[in-house]
Amino acid sequence: MSILEVMDLSYSYSGGLPSPTAAISNINLKIEQGEIIGIIGHTGSGKSTLVQHLNGLLTPTSGKVLFEGQDIWEKGTKIKKIREKVGLVFQYPEYQLFEETAAQDIAFGPKNMGITGDELTGRVMSAARAVGLRDELLDASPFDLSGGEKRRVAIAGVLAMNPKVLIFDEPTAGLDPIGRENILKIVKDCRDNNGATVIMVSHSMDDIALIADRILVMNKGSVFMFDTVHNVFSNSEKLMEIGLNVPNITKVFVELKKQGITFPDSVYTMDDAVKAILSYANGREK
Amino acid sequence: MLDNITFGQFIDTHSVLHRLDPRIKIILLIAIIVFIFLAGNFISLGLIAVFCIALLINSKIPLKMYLKNLKVILPIVIFTAIINTFYVSTGTVLLDWWIFKITTDGIMRAVFMSSRVVLLILISSALTYTTTPNDLTDAIERLLSPLKLIGLGNLVHMLAMMITIALRFIPTLLEETGKIMNAQKARGASFTEGKLTEKIRALIPILVPLLISSIRRAYELAEAMECRCYNGGEGRTRMKQLRLRKNDFCAISICVLVCTATIILNIFF
Repeated sequence: MSILEVMDLSYSYSGGLPSPTAAISNINLKIEQGEIIGIIGHTGSGKSTLVQHLNGLLTPTSGKVLFEGQDIWEKGTKIKKIREKVGLVFQYPEYQLFEETAAQDIAFGPKNMGITGDELTGRVMSAARAVGLRDELLDASPFDLSGGEKRRVAIAGVLAMNPKVLIFDEPTAGLDPIGRENILKIVKDCRDNNGATVIMVSHSMDDIALIADRILVMNKGSVFMFDTVHNVFSNSEKLMEIGLNVPNITKVFVELKKQGITFPDSVYTMDDAVKAILSYANGREK
Repeated sequence: MLDNITFGQFIDTHSVLHRLDPRIKIILLIAIIVFIFLAGNFISLGLIAVFCIALLINSKIPLKMYLKNLKVILPIVIFTAIINTFYVSTGTVLLDWWIFKITTDGIMRAVFMSSRVVLLILISSALTYTTTPNDLTDAIERLLSPLKLIGLGNLVHMLAMMITIALRFIPTLLEETGKIMNAQKARGASFTEGKLTEKIRALIPILVPLLISSIRRAYELAEAMECRCYNGGEGRTRMKQLRLRKNDFCAISICVLVCTATIILNIFF
């Protein structure tokens, strides 16, 4: 059984206008336990609309969303329980902080689930540790923290609910390279350390190549491709057609290939590149 | 929840009303409102009603949109009607029970008064539906420009600028509120369950972030304006010059005719 399944999902919004506009149409997906899924697509391709259906923030116009095989909009299903199991970290999550201290803000989610006392403290501490927040920052006002720290507090606030599925909407937007790297590591650790299924929406091919197992490419509200990282990025012409691109480092290696220097494997991340170049250099020495 | 709030209700249907000078629209609206209240009998009010309905049709805005606005003030209309029904005790008595007494005159008056309120809302909606908020504030600033003579020119400009900015940011803040609400809902917050005190407490996680982001936006906007040498109203020219055209003079003439007719009908009936 897939942990999340989307069947024929469509959503249109009217926005007060006479004719409704389709934001996403006829989406079918199956996401397995423990996967990291990257979602890419242009602004307005329906990425955010899609992920907001997965935890029941938006009600589908037609179609179904199944969590562990159960329709989340079926009568008798508590949508609040679904939201506890499918955590969603919004774009620029630092704008949702409101409590007096970072610790209290992280505790907001678990408190809403009815968790109190030692368990609550434990959850806050482990979530803070998972995002690499120093203990002394926990008692500071979230508004006194730096941008990167604020974002980590906000992410910890969702992690503290211990969701089975974690969705990140553009988690690295507006961060410097080191900040990006830190956040991507946190995202990857959610799966590696806690066994959560992770879905990450991103504009950056490089970010997605770094951590995803499979990539969902959205275009104009529909699924354009949904395949492994290798299968998606080896289809660079198809991606170019809809104005998307392969990771920067892959472009370098495609150029090298044109110059007649061939490498054994496809290169999607910096680590791949280092390995490929080292093995090429070793080959030449011999 | 937030989808139901329409503000800055402008709908572009390119009608004649849309093309009128906003200053003229405001002045004529005020005139029509005055005459709605001057109309003393059903015949003169009827004339204004016909005129108003003709304007609504001319605006090419779907009737549904006007009815939506009426729905909002329905309680006021009903309240007006009830008060007036019991206030008048002349005429044929239809019902007399305890302290309540309903008479034909009372019902007539109730209908009359509620028609006035309904007309008032309809005609005001016609203005907001056919004029962009920016045009409105621009027109208000221009109409208040005589205040410059008594040294209040900058005040008028500041007021108009504040209204423009406020209107401009309403959709932005609504969108922001929606986002924050969703983010807190994703963290298990609920805004519909619980007692009243709990519901009020549930607003804190929305209001605090909203307030902070509004202040942040205000600073950013102020900086951006100063970077472009904004320094108040003095010596500031306009991108869009308002000029009276043939249509505007036609509109004025028609309104003057209708208003004169109302007075005549008032006197003779």
